[in-house]
Amino acid sequence: MIIADQKPVAEIKGFIEGKKKVLIAGCGTCVTVCLAGGETEVKNVASALRIAFKNDGKDVEILEDTVERQCDDEFVEPLLARVKNEGFDAVVTLACGVGCNFLSTRIGPVQVFPGVNTSFLGSNEAQGDYLELCAGCGECILHLTGGICPMARCSKQIMNGPCGGTSDGKCEISQDIDCGWYLIVKRMQELDILGQYDEIQAARDWSKGTHGGPRRLTKETAAMAAEDDAAKES
Amino acid sequence: MGESGSKQSLDENLKAPCVAACPVHTDNRRLTEYVAHGRYEDALELTLSVNPFSSVCGRICSHACEQECRRNNVEKPLSLRMLKRFIVDNTRDYRLARRGKIKKTAGTKGKKVAVVGAGPSGMTAAHDLAKDGFSVTVFERAEKPGGMLSYAIPKYRLPYDIVREDVDDILALGVELKTGFDVGKDVTFDQLKKDHDAVLIAGGLFDSRTLALPGMDADGVILAMPFLREAAEGGTPVLGKKVVVIGGGNVAVDVARTAKRLGAEEVTMICLEGEDEMPAWDWEIQETVEEGIRISNSWGPTEVRTDGGRVTGIDFKECTCVFDDTGRFNPQYDESNTCSFDADNVIVSIGQQADISCVEGSKVKIAGGTRFEYDRATLATSEPGVFASGEIAVGPGAAIEAVAEGRRAAQAIAHWLDKGDVASIPGTDMPHVGELPERVAEKVIKRDRTEVEFADPVERLTNFEVIEPCFTEKEARQEAARCMSCTLGAVVDEEKCAVCLTCVRVCPFDVAKIEKKAVMPADECQACGLCAAECPAVAIKLERWGVHEMKNRIAGKLERLGGKPDKFLLGFGCLFQAETRDALQNDPAAVKSDGIVRISVPCTARLTVSDLLAPFELGAGGVTVIACEGDSCQYPIALDRIERRVKEAGGFLEAIGVGADKIQLMKTNGPAETEWPKILSEAREKLG
Repeated sequence: MIIADQKPVAEIKGFIEGKKKVLIAGCGTCVTVCLAGGETEVKNVASALRIAFKNDGKDVEILEDTVERQCDDEFVEPLLARVKNEGFDAVVTLACGVGCNFLSTRIGPVQVFPGVNTSFLGSNEAQGDYLELCAGCGECILHLTGGICPMARCSKQIMNGPCGGTSDGKCEISQDIDCGWYLIVKRMQELDILGQYDEIQAARDWSKGTHGGPRRLTKETAAMAAEDDAAKES
Repeated sequence: MGESGSKQSLDENLKAPCVAACPVHTDNRRLTEYVAHGRYEDALELTLSVNPFSSVCGRICSHACEQECRRNNVEKPLSLRMLKRFIVDNTRDYRLARRGKIKKTAGTKGKKVAVVGAGPSGMTAAHDLAKDGFSVTVFERAEKPGGMLSYAIPKYRLPYDIVREDVDDILALGVELKTGFDVGKDVTFDQLKKDHDAVLIAGGLFDSRTLALPGMDADGVILAMPFLREAAEGGTPVLGKKVVVIGGGNVAVDVARTAKRLGAEEVTMICLEGEDEMPAWDWEIQETVEEGIRISNSWGPTEVRTDGGRVTGIDFKECTCVFDDTGRFNPQYDESNTCSFDADNVIVSIGQQADISCVEGSKVKIAGGTRFEYDRATLATSEPGVFASGEIAVGPGAAIEAVAEGRRAAQAIAHWLDKGDVASIPGTDMPHVGELPERVAEKVIKRDRTEVEFADPVERLTNFEVIEPCFTEKEARQEAARCMSCTLGAVVDEEKCAVCLTCVRVCPFDVAKIEKKAVMPADECQACGLCAAECPAVAIKLERWGVHEMKNRIAGKLERLGGKPDKFLLGFGCLFQAETRDALQNDPAAVKSDGIVRISVPCTARLTVSDLLAPFELGAGGVTVIACEGDSCQYPIALDRIERRVKEAGGFLEAIGVGADKIQLMKTNGPAETEWPKILSEAREKLG
């Protein structure tokens, strides 16, 4: 799941200073589950903004909406129509960065501001506790590391760890962070595959990650034929 | 056992056991809710809407609701009957004013119904029929209405003015009551039928059954019903020092206790049944024993001993078994084991039977003995347009059962008059949730049942004064807070649920679970509302609480108070802390002077962050949340959750420059009456 964290309301308020009618838009999927941008958070942020502008003596209309996902046209269309029809001059989205991008490229001449900091791909360890477990690097090597990812869980993202900074299972950058390679070795021991640890991993192909530029994935087998192609087929 | 499973609350077919068990299905959960909110008049309206004998039932109801209350799975059931009494006892002025406004609906439909018997069944039927617009006349042989309520139940349990409260409301609908009118003598049944479009026979069981024993004709042998009736009319039947009451039912208990009050020094109840088989209610037996009345079980009478035509005692043989394998009454005796009691009086209380002389000479077919042909489903007798209800039709039972049958009779008669045929009228069975599962019950915070102290047993035997005091307001509110709101819990909007597991994780009762979407099984949910307050998708609704609706509620309150006061502060308090409803009110003058508006909520942990911010949107300069501390808190983890939410709301306020210190959480286990003013006054000083 995508984990996000709400931006400070003061920062959000700064984005929309001077606007007259603003829509706070929530997303009903990842950010709802991680308690950052669902309908409840929309209510809280909107309320705080209304209080703030009222105290400033400014007449700013802050309204609320939440859709199932802000990364699919079918869900976003009603939101876009509302923005257009009701004359909003800004949108604050509490969706992840994907939603903010998605809205921005479809909404026309209305600025979309991020209401959350999109943080990482992670797990829900307990109520309100999230942990990064995947870096989205584009080439999984989890089969080599006992299912624990050095890209996501090693601070240096090294492929043959640990480094000299490991100490009692913790990373040198913080005692709150587990050493990823310590976890990998422990897991390999548990699985009795510690022999794999001796194999030196080759350098990664970093172009499959963000270093290769923005990524796009098309599943040919799932894609719908373009209307022209469909006509030829028949 | 009724239906159980994972259905959610708003399913109308799945009721709380207390509602299902009540023969008229009084919604006790609403009653307790109204009491908690201080809405005693609404509670009265609710009970009267289904039970015109609410005052009576507040005193003497056999309260099947309590037997089925799911607090039984935690510690003890709610004292629902006493709560009903509290409601009627504390709304008398309102009820009197209300009576003056009751519309005389009787007679607007133009068809006439005669009701024979002004007991709970007949009067209830008259009530419902009159509300339905029919013209109703009730014919009562006695001088007063109420039937057994007025003439059999002793005054220390049910004073006549209580019966009259209910009867007067019924009469206010335009029901005509003719007392001292003996159908069968003053008018023939056929003539009565001819004069009306339908007739309901709703007599009680006023004739005592007797025993065919040697010596029964002696002086000093008395039958239960005439004895009770004389006492009820203020008479003082002359009794000797030693009285033996034969019988083990509720009437026998009334007889024994009445005899003791009338001066008998030694009263002994003797019955066929063993201690655990006695038909009298447990609590009645307990009160009887408290009053020094002996109970001797498993004896069957053989002979009344006499001397010179006067009772001197009575002999018994051991009863070894009362019922046969099929449950039928078939007593067996051990003739060799006998005993004997000296007695100046023997009062026979072994059951009652109907007097059906009112239909003599009519076409109403007699089924044999003192019963006539009667269809339990349609309430119709053999004669078209003649119906029957109450004890005369179904045999002895509790007053509330007679009320329920009266309601069915009214439906049967209305159908007859409107459609011209008989209809099967649904019985009182109702599907309901089962017992509270043990794993949930063990997490419910235990609360002692609120008991009242009865009058001292020695004192109370000196008169016929009511022995049971009513709840004080504090006691009533304390008891109402024990209601677990069965089946009125959380309901998930599946469209909105993001399956985030928040509800599963925060539910203090381990009730919430995922079945594709979140589900809070209606038979388990405690309606605490914690899940709804935490749900990030606003996907959980509560039947009794508007989630995230505080802004509108505060706005409405401000409007009623004449606008936002100067230096407006808002105080949220838990209404379970209030011992009186006065503490829940906002005195407009006080609000004007100190600017503090109070909002009482059923547990402050229901408040969402947006609820906590709402007052600031409406111009409040500060918010104080007064939560229950320690054991006084209604729900596990509630305090922790509201502490976290106040902190979150404070974070928002800090970020926008208002300041986190403008919202504060205060904790107390003291009463609202003394604690809230102190806490709010401190908040006032702090916030300026």
